[in-house]
Amino acid sequence: MKSSTGSVQTPALRGIRVADFGQVIAAPVTAQILGWLGAEVILVETESRFTTRVWPPFADGKFGINQSGGFNLVNNNKMSCSLVLSNPDALEVARDIIRVSDVLVENYATGVMERLGLGYDEVRKLRPDIVYMSLGAFGRSGPFKDLTGFHSVINLFSGLAAVTGYPGTHPRIMGGLIPDAFAGCYCVLAVLEALYHRSRTGEGQFVEVSMTEGLTGMIPEGVMEYSLSGQEQEKAGNRNGRKAPHNVFRCIGDENWVAVSVETDEQFRALAEASGNSGWAGDARFATTQARLENQDALEALLGQWTVGLEVEAVVSTLQAAGVPAAPVNDSADVLADPHLLERGFVAHLEHPVAGTRPVLSLPWAADGRRANDLRPAPNFGQHNDWVLKELLQVPDKEYERLMSSGAIG
Amino acid sequence: MSSDADTRPAALAGVRVVEYAETASASFCARLLADAGADVVKVEPPAGDQHRRRGPFPDGHPDPDWSGMFLYLNANKRGVALDLTDSSQRAAFDQLAGKADILVVGGQSAEIEGLGLRREALDSRFRGNDGEGGNDREGRIGGSGLVVCAITPFGLSGPNSGHLGDELTAVAAGGLSFATPGVPDGVADPANEPPLTANTPLAELMTGVLGSAACVAALLSRQFSGQGCEIDLSLQEGVAAVMPYELAHAAYHEPKKRELLGFALMPNIYLPCRDGYVVIMAVLDGHWRNLMAAAGNPDWGDLEVFASAVERGRNWDALEPLLLEWTMSHTGEEIARMAQERGVPCFPAYSVGQMMESTHVTEREFLQEFTSPGGRNFKLPGHPIRMAATPWRSFRPAPRLGQHTAEVLGEWLGWTEDRARSLAAVAE
Repeated sequence: MKSSTGSVQTPALRGIRVADFGQVIAAPVTAQILGWLGAEVILVETESRFTTRVWPPFADGKFGINQSGGFNLVNNNKMSCSLVLSNPDALEVARDIIRVSDVLVENYATGVMERLGLGYDEVRKLRPDIVYMSLGAFGRSGPFKDLTGFHSVINLFSGLAAVTGYPGTHPRIMGGLIPDAFAGCYCVLAVLEALYHRSRTGEGQFVEVSMTEGLTGMIPEGVMEYSLSGQEQEKAGNRNGRKAPHNVFRCIGDENWVAVSVETDEQFRALAEASGNSGWAGDARFATTQARLENQDALEALLGQWTVGLEVEAVVSTLQAAGVPAAPVNDSADVLADPHLLERGFVAHLEHPVAGTRPVLSLPWAADGRRANDLRPAPNFGQHNDWVLKELLQVPDKEYERLMSSGAIG
Repeated sequence: MSSDADTRPAALAGVRVVEYAETASASFCARLLADAGADVVKVEPPAGDQHRRRGPFPDGHPDPDWSGMFLYLNANKRGVALDLTDSSQRAAFDQLAGKADILVVGGQSAEIEGLGLRREALDSRFRGNDGEGGNDREGRIGGSGLVVCAITPFGLSGPNSGHLGDELTAVAAGGLSFATPGVPDGVADPANEPPLTANTPLAELMTGVLGSAACVAALLSRQFSGQGCEIDLSLQEGVAAVMPYELAHAAYHEPKKRELLGFALMPNIYLPCRDGYVVIMAVLDGHWRNLMAAAGNPDWGDLEVFASAVERGRNWDALEPLLLEWTMSHTGEEIARMAQERGVPCFPAYSVGQMMESTHVTEREFLQEFTSPGGRNFKLPGHPIRMAATPWRSFRPAPRLGQHTAEVLGEWLGWTEDRARSLAAVAE
């Protein structure tokens, strides 16, 4: 594909096959991004271990394993092979898939892969140069390695919740289930680094990421502060010790808010002018960042009186035109409908055979203006069994019939 | 983390990176590449990166070489000071970029355009440099192998690309702020309790991780094509990318509500306890029975109105005070132990200190220790990727301003130290 600068782009992971043993969100996100980068991803699924397939949201609120939004938004561009992993024949098929794979990603509870006979020590015998990506909630070692790692638990352990909320009040849990997908992004980096190393040396390896460590890496100041003084980093609501105003403000409507962040005196004067409050610019309470920080209760009240009579979009466009950072506080429907994100190709629409046409995310960056090489919808359960068994693994017809009727598949 | 004596290779050994950025996202992106063994040169303007002034400062007074956030974002890099508004120093910058595999830039989109740091602008600068800036490293021709990674608030293209932004606007526009607090935390009064963000540059750092992944992907792509590319990554998209499940609700049915609904499956809840807060997930009937056992099998545990997760949700107003009576009479640690012993997912809210001093964090040796010039010991988070064959290394603290200007101009461009000194501020 020709790009605007005339360069020829090749998918980064052309010729790479990924065996995806991902559960819930984290590792599925990893494998999805690898798929967008051109890898062929085979999702190995087991009905008794269903997670997102049987969790809401479902298309239009109707239950169905092939119409779960939670599943379909993190499993695009994959092929599904349904194996009953408790069945020895199915396990042998899984091993055969691994033998022809370059990467394995998994985020089962600690020890599950080993009990299945699919731990790294076994897998490297099947495929010596495999990149084995193991993602654990608390990691694969240490006293907490077996704890159940819901996103709330990761928030509460990592210290992120401890720096979220209002001064003097309790820790708040960040939304969006971000520990999962964020750790999944770290795993993408890890797998790509391991593949780069392999491309130069032929050497595969075991790679481990923990969700908690990824999140603790987000609070360097809190960690440093405690180690220096034994003091906990103060929560700040939506405020910031270096910028004022720096908060979200009510606009017209029930739950409509706008985020405004002012760093410099120049931006503040522009804000005063643009909001029709040129008097603020000469007000000693707001003359410098320090003064604005000290008087931000008063400042926020004044700014809120201006925004509350306006649509979010009007505040954003007025302030941006004046050179003041501002943005809508989008809910998830707003994000999916954002004309900016649609034009950039980050949000796309894709027809799923069961769920219908739905918004999906694409690769979170563009290279020379391009994102995923092609977007394919998430697979139905077992949709690619025939392809995996007959085409990829070249299972003879008779053996195929036996597998299909033995309870190993499905 | 591996020791200095470790002879195992680094994943990105031999990869050259130039960074010109004062944003946490771009600096963290380049830091992650440095941790993986890339030779990362951070180019700073004469005033120094803004994070040198941010802190926290271990010795209690501002010191541009010992700002905690700067140290965190810039470990393992070498430091070069160049004034890009000075034409001869700019030419030196262009030559460094021409020798690099990756150039990481960050800031407002207009700043990056204005500085001529887009890939096309750089290409023509390389060509104008009489070959001196051309990328003559193996397998590439005249700078075409360069990967430029630009991290901006709203991206380099699209209707809002010119919008100014920062951490707060990213968390807001990416949808995360509206979703916070998240399940099983919730707001009591959605119309009046504003969306919330964390007191840390979460969006910046998350986007930095994606940036480094994008860079390595571009290196892999270049192995096929010999061509570099320009990576366009926005903070807004970096945030939205880590909340697909939240977005799925809007894509498939309806956006999640901000308040905890009375009719949700229960208990999946965040409750106060004697010394803090605790999260308890006992939706499954087996978990519920085990939770009741942990609570000493109170009579009300058998009531018909609490017989299923649906019933417990429907009658949550009656159940909550009963559960609170139990949680408020124990510490978070006690509740978690009693529940976990019975297989019920449960965890107390940790302070940062509790996390840092936990046996789990200490046994995994995740935190990195430092000593300041004033003799103060402090810690920062380590690197969350543990690679068996190519472990990350901590081999160099963040650079002083211009610490390696002469060294890098010498190594990469073959300049004498005198030539380097005549050009730019070179730290002693």
